[in-house]
Formats: sequence, C-alpha cells, structure tokens
Amino acid sequence: MFGLPDITVLAVGGVTLVVIAALLYWGLTFRGHD
Amino acid sequence: MAADFITIAVIVIYFLAMLGIGAWASRKIKNTEDYLVAGRQLGFWVFILLMIGTVASGMSLLGVSGLGFKAGWPTIWEQIFVPLSIGFCIIFFGVKLHNVAKTAGYITVQDYLAHRYESPTALRSLSAVAGVIVSLIYLVGQYSAIAIVLMWLFAIPLWLALVIATLITTIYTAIGGLYAVAWASLIQSVILIIGVLIMAPIIIFYAGGFDHINTYLAGVNPNLVMPWMPSGTFGIPYVVSFAVLLMVGLACAPHVINNVLAIKDVKYFKWAPLVAFLIYGVAMFLLKFTGFAGAVMVKEGVFTLPNVPNAGDFVILYGIQNSLPVMALWAVFAVIVLAAVMSTTDRLMLTIGAMCSWDIYKKVLKPDADDKTVLLLSKIVVILSALFTMVLAINPPEMLAILIWMGIGVMLSTFAIPLLAGLYWRGATREGALAAMSLGLVSSLTFGMLNYIKASVLGIDFGTIPLHFSAYSFIIAIFAMIIVSLLTKKTTDKVLDETQTGWFISK
Repeated sequence: MFGLPDITVLAVGGVTLVVIAALLYWGLTFRGHD
Repeated sequence: MAADFITIAVIVIYFLAMLGIGAWASRKIKNTEDYLVAGRQLGFWVFILLMIGTVASGMSLLGVSGLGFKAGWPTIWEQIFVPLSIGFCIIFFGVKLHNVAKTAGYITVQDYLAHRYESPTALRSLSAVAGVIVSLIYLVGQYSAIAIVLMWLFAIPLWLALVIATLITTIYTAIGGLYAVAWASLIQSVILIIGVLIMAPIIIFYAGGFDHINTYLAGVNPNLVMPWMPSGTFGIPYVVSFAVLLMVGLACAPHVINNVLAIKDVKYFKWAPLVAFLIYGVAMFLLKFTGFAGAVMVKEGVFTLPNVPNAGDFVILYGIQNSLPVMALWAVFAVIVLAAVMSTTDRLMLTIGAMCSWDIYKKVLKPDADDKTVLLLSKIVVILSALFTMVLAINPPEMLAILIWMGIGVMLSTFAIPLLAGLYWRGATREGALAAMSLGLVSSLTFGMLNYIKASVLGIDFGTIPLHFSAYSFIIAIFAMIIVSLLTKKTTDKVLDETQTGWFISK
C-alpha cells in the first residue's frame, strides 16, 4: 500500500491509532477540578 | 536567489504584525505575573496553539524534512512522538501542576520544585541554571533555522540574517511577555498549519505523488521505506529511546511545561491533548513526506542542494522553489518557516528571562526586590539571551536536528525524573532530586558531546551507541533519584499533601 512494505504501514498506522485511542479515552474520562 | 519587492513586502508585513502584537500586549502588562504567565488567563485555542507553537520549532520544518531527506521512513516516529509530547505534558505534568499552582501561586516550574522538595535555594538554583543551559542550546538551533531561511530568501550573509531575526523576535518578546508570545504563537501556528497543509501536497505532487516517492526510495535503498533500520541509528532500540526522548523530553522542557501554568481553566485539559495531537500530527507527517519528496527530486536531478555541511536542512526550501515557481509564494513559505521558528524562540527567551529574574534573582539572591525591578530584569535577560545565542549561531552545526535533539536530550535527563518523581512518588526527597538533576545534566552534556564528536572513551564508541545518548543519562537520573531518596530524609507530609503528591493524576 502507498508503495510501502506492509510492516511500515502496520507499524506506523498501528501506533498512530493506539495514540489517538488513548487520547480519546483521556478526553472521555477526564473530569478535572478547579 | 535575491528577493524582489513583493517578497520583501510580505516579510516586512509579517515582522510588523509581530511587533504590533508586542506593542498591544505590552499595554496589558501590569506586573511580573502578567508578564511571565499572562495573568493565568489563556483560553482553550490560545493555549493549544501556544503549545503547538512552542513545540513546533526550526526542526519542525527544516530539520524534520532534512532528516526525512537523509534517512527516510525510519525517522517517521518523530511525527508521532513530537505531537504526542503536548498530550504527555498536559496529562502527566499539567493537570496536577496547574491545580497546585493556582493555590500556591507558581510563576515557573522551579517554584513547584522548590516547594515540593522543600529546597528554596539549592534545587531552585540548580534547576534554573540547568534550565538556562538547555534553553540556550535549544535556542542556538532555532536561530540557525531562522538564518537559513533569511539567507535563502534574501541572499544575505549569515550575520545579517541573524541580526534581523534576533532583533524582531527580541523586541516583541521583551515588551509584551507571555501575552505577546501567546498571541504571536496563535497567529504563527495558524500560518504554519495552513501553510503546510497547502504547500506540502504541492511538493509531494510535483515529485510524482506519494506512491512514486516511496517506490523510488525503495529502489534506491529498501531500508529507506522500512519503519526502522536493521541496526544502529534508527534500529529498533534506538527508535524506542528516540520516542521517549521526544515525548517526555519535550514535555518537561521548561519553555513547554511553563505554559500549563498560564491556562485559565483546568477543563481545557480534557480535549487539548487529542486536538493538539491531531492538528500538529497532520502537519508533521506532511512535512516529513516533503523531505522524502525532496530526496527523490534531488536523486532524479530536478534540483541540487547548496554545497554546505547542513544541505539537508535546505531541502524543503528548494522543494518549494522548484514546485512553486512564483517568488511571492516563496516569501509566504518563508513566513511559515519564520513563524514556526519564532514561536519557539520567543517562548525560550521568555523562559530564560523568567528563570534568571524570578528564580535566581527574586527567589534566591534578593527576596526583597520589588516587582518593577524583577520585571525590568526579565526584559534585560530576554535581550541578553538573544544576543548570546545569536553569536553562538554564527557557526551552525552540520544538521539542525542534531543540535536540537541534543537540547531535548539534556532537558529529558535533567528535568523529567525530578518532576515525575516529585509529582507521583511520595518517597522522592530533596537530595534525590538534586542528585538526579545534577547527574542527569552533567552526564547528558558529556554523552551528547562525545556522541556528537563520535569519540571513543573507555572502550565505548559513542558514535555508534545503540540507544540515543540521552537514554543513558536518563537511566542514571532514575537510579540517582531512587537510591539517594531511599537513603535520605523524607519530605514532610504537610508539603506532600499541599503539592498533591501521589500515584494519581487528579483527585
């Protein structure tokens, strides 16, 4: 895909998705206080 | 190339806009708190774009594409972990620091360290001095980047490029403090993001498209399209240490972390990590692809880079020059690069000013100094730090990225452990923090220098070590903190409770 080996697409895409999922989870669960 | 009238006009308008922001912001400055933490009144978007602007530096445009040009896909990880550093800073440092700072009145992160470790003089001084050293290293890289752009655009000598860049940035930072820096960053970050979103696809298309670029790189060297190199620099161990370096090192950098003290409402921290990651991440990926496109164009003979040691840092500039044969657009692109660099430079100078005037002068040397004197000293230090780094930047290093990483590596080794242990481990002591910070600073400066000059010491070849040099000094700092803390007297429970120390992010 994109002229790249599968491992590159999987590694870079996978890590990016994991990061987005983690930050989404943080946004949904963070309450904070002031 | 030499600039025409429109080019000069575009650059001059941009510079005047920055000076205008400085003049406007200066009217809001009533005291040191206004100057250094913008009266703790930053809103959601100003904060996000300030964070992006602070992290997005000379490396983001010139260095990122330069590294992509040189080493291909194995360097792609900086596109994930640099944007993630903003989220790491907010989640692991920002929430707690902000909550404590509001009641304790912190101006700088050194205020927190002095409070948490009950060390109003020793740790505050050491951390301020270390902060000044690492900020200066980082600042040299930024001024080198500004000079590269101005030299390219106006065909002027390096010294003149440096003088122009220094003068403009210093004036608006010195007069407007964090208000000016934050609002300038808002504009600079918007220019940077929109500019990259428009210009990067044009360069990639001009080079033959994304698929062609990757296929061509794979034909030159199959490792250039792999996610890591088989061994050595950008091998898997190096990539892991590189990820930690960028994510944690940038997150705890004094000029980045101090921003969390200036936010108006802690609720902004809810979505700021994701929003910052998505916006900055897209721009960073596009920049790296631009470097790949430049590599293909150079190899195909579309253009040649100048015969200078840091030629890779010029690749995006020459890519633009060839893909968009309209000089006025080059000026717009030069403004984009200048915006990226200046948004970091101004914040760094202000941070150095804060550490010298607030942490060293007001809190250690002369506690009875009045606010007016501290404010004046902040401004003087901003100017002096600019002049000092301008002189250092006259001889730029071979690759911009290397100098800037060295700065981040020293930040990681010096600040990460005292901050993380201070916020989360009730067993961390003053002596442990002093040991971790001083050993982290000295070892990272030593390893960084040995790595840079590729020296061989005690049978170790520092030019080919498998991890980034900062990983070793980071580990030394961890051990120093744990061992010394276990052997020394604990911080009082009163202070630990006041600083909300414990294994939680937010109660």
